[in-house]
Amino acid sequence: MAIVHQHGCGHVGDDVINTERALLGVATNPNVGAVVVVGLGCETIAGERLASRIEQRGQRVRFVGIQAEGGIERTVVRGREAVAGLRQQLDGLRREAQPASSFVFGIDADGPLADAVCGVAAQRGARVVRGSGAPGPGRHVELAGAGAQVIVSLRGRGQGPVGFAVCPVLAVAGDPELYRALCDDFDLDGGAVGAEAIFERAVVTFNGERTASERRDAHDFVLRRLARSM
Amino acid sequence: MSDLLGYRRANETWGVRNHVLVMPAQAAASTAAEQLAAAIPGAVAVTHQWDGDRDDRDALLVQRTLAGFCANPNVASVLIVGITDTDRALAENVASRGCETEFVALADHGGTLRAVDAARPIVASLVTNARRLRREPMPISALVLGLECGGSDALSGITANPALGIASDLLVAGGGTSILAEVPELVGAETLLAARAVTPEVGRRVIAVVHQFEQAVRALGVDVRGAQPAPGNIEGGLSTIEEKALGAAKKGGEAPVAGVLEYAQAPPATGLYIMDTPGHDIEQMVAMVAGGCQLVAFTTGRGTPTGSAIAPCLKIATNSTVFERMDGDIDLDAGAILDGRETVQSMGQRIYDTILTVATGTLTSSERRGHREFALPPQLN
Repeated sequence: MAIVHQHGCGHVGDDVINTERALLGVATNPNVGAVVVVGLGCETIAGERLASRIEQRGQRVRFVGIQAEGGIERTVVRGREAVAGLRQQLDGLRREAQPASSFVFGIDADGPLADAVCGVAAQRGARVVRGSGAPGPGRHVELAGAGAQVIVSLRGRGQGPVGFAVCPVLAVAGDPELYRALCDDFDLDGGAVGAEAIFERAVVTFNGERTASERRDAHDFVLRRLARSM
Repeated sequence: MSDLLGYRRANETWGVRNHVLVMPAQAAASTAAEQLAAAIPGAVAVTHQWDGDRDDRDALLVQRTLAGFCANPNVASVLIVGITDTDRALAENVASRGCETEFVALADHGGTLRAVDAARPIVASLVTNARRLRREPMPISALVLGLECGGSDALSGITANPALGIASDLLVAGGGTSILAEVPELVGAETLLAARAVTPEVGRRVIAVVHQFEQAVRALGVDVRGAQPAPGNIEGGLSTIEEKALGAAKKGGEAPVAGVLEYAQAPPATGLYIMDTPGHDIEQMVAMVAGGCQLVAFTTGRGTPTGSAIAPCLKIATNSTVFERMDGDIDLDAGAILDGRETVQSMGQRIYDTILTVATGTLTSSERRGHREFALPPQLN
């Protein structure tokens, strides 16, 4: 699967570091078995450098550069070869039993229900990461970078469910009416279930049951920035 | 009347393409928009990352950009895909600009997959209606050309940009409109541009828009190098932003500067305008297209294959090496000026002639390759 995004060029100051860290974090999330970085060649966050940093973290990675390859068609041909080679390496992998402590889940929300879900997770020995940025899909990137394999997204009033590129998102509706209107795209009605049920569903998701975001094949990728593009 | 043939729209604008666009009102509707366009041949979707936060400081700018893009004359009709009825505001904005607009909310159908099923016949019928339209003789005064450079090198200001400037002057002299943008790439050229302003007030605005950018950078307390010029610009022989800018400004030729536009604002009349956009290639392109530009002419020294879902993007190489190297991604080779096969003047005329051919229907490389890059002003954390 591909992540299409608008970032990588025209960054200044801390925004360079922040954006590169975000891309690096997503690429090295434990749900990602391998990565192909597609670069242009003249951009601020050089694809080749990003790929080498991904490799330093022990991830399988290949790089293709549009300007280095000599255009889009050649890049796609080389990129397909890279994907096929990496896919072969991953096809032999199987799920293995893991202790609860290897389960890291990210919680995209603040407030009492989020605190309660964190409390249940802590009791069961799972690790929880909580973002620092504004709650919402912009936090998914941060949570993925912190190692979360499953994201629990507690949406507010009037807010629809948002998927994410590399982690299943368990979308919990913050308003029963919206839950009914978007029942295919939400996983749970936050008004009808408590923290225990949310955590139980997160565990099931961890073990491979697909969330609504995965069933509709949502690859949403929202990256908030520290500065405007130059 | 020129030899141009275009699509006459109900709101008296003219398209050079006839697209049916599927636009998500926010990121969470991108999956549905993509699936719809993939299901109906003849429809095209863009995706974006705006998260729907109406309290975001850029929310109004984002709305103006999305609405302007949908209302571009190259779009015959548009389906806006929203999450709830709140997103209907975008559809109403587009419709108020005189464009054929449909709206579907995921929440009216239980979610993405059922909404896609429900909206499929709507998109199919928009495509059928669009295909009935025929090109008619189009006045050159209706053509708005976006001027852009991306992946500039030391030859940009010597070959492709001055030649594009000549093409822009030909268009403006013929009664058409050009947009010069990417304000960071005008730093150092502002007094030259201000001297060409049609009124002292326009001249002051040209200076002001460049100084505002410089102040914003100073306020951030950062070094703009690395972003402007970018690493590839420096590898390509450009040393400073001022050097890059003096070359970049040549795309605007020598025509009088008729006015300064805000990001995504439509030019109020014909002539050469300056739009306040970043240098980021895709943000700039989207801003110009959202301002009504139907065709982009894009020079490149390093080889940047950017294109738009709805506007043809004509690529012009600054040197023959990159033209040959970027196999089939670039339309014209202004490197021919260096070895004497062309002069700046003859290359400018060739670019202008090609712009008219493309406007009348010939596909550019970026269209054949299916480029549809899209970017909005990034939301800040």
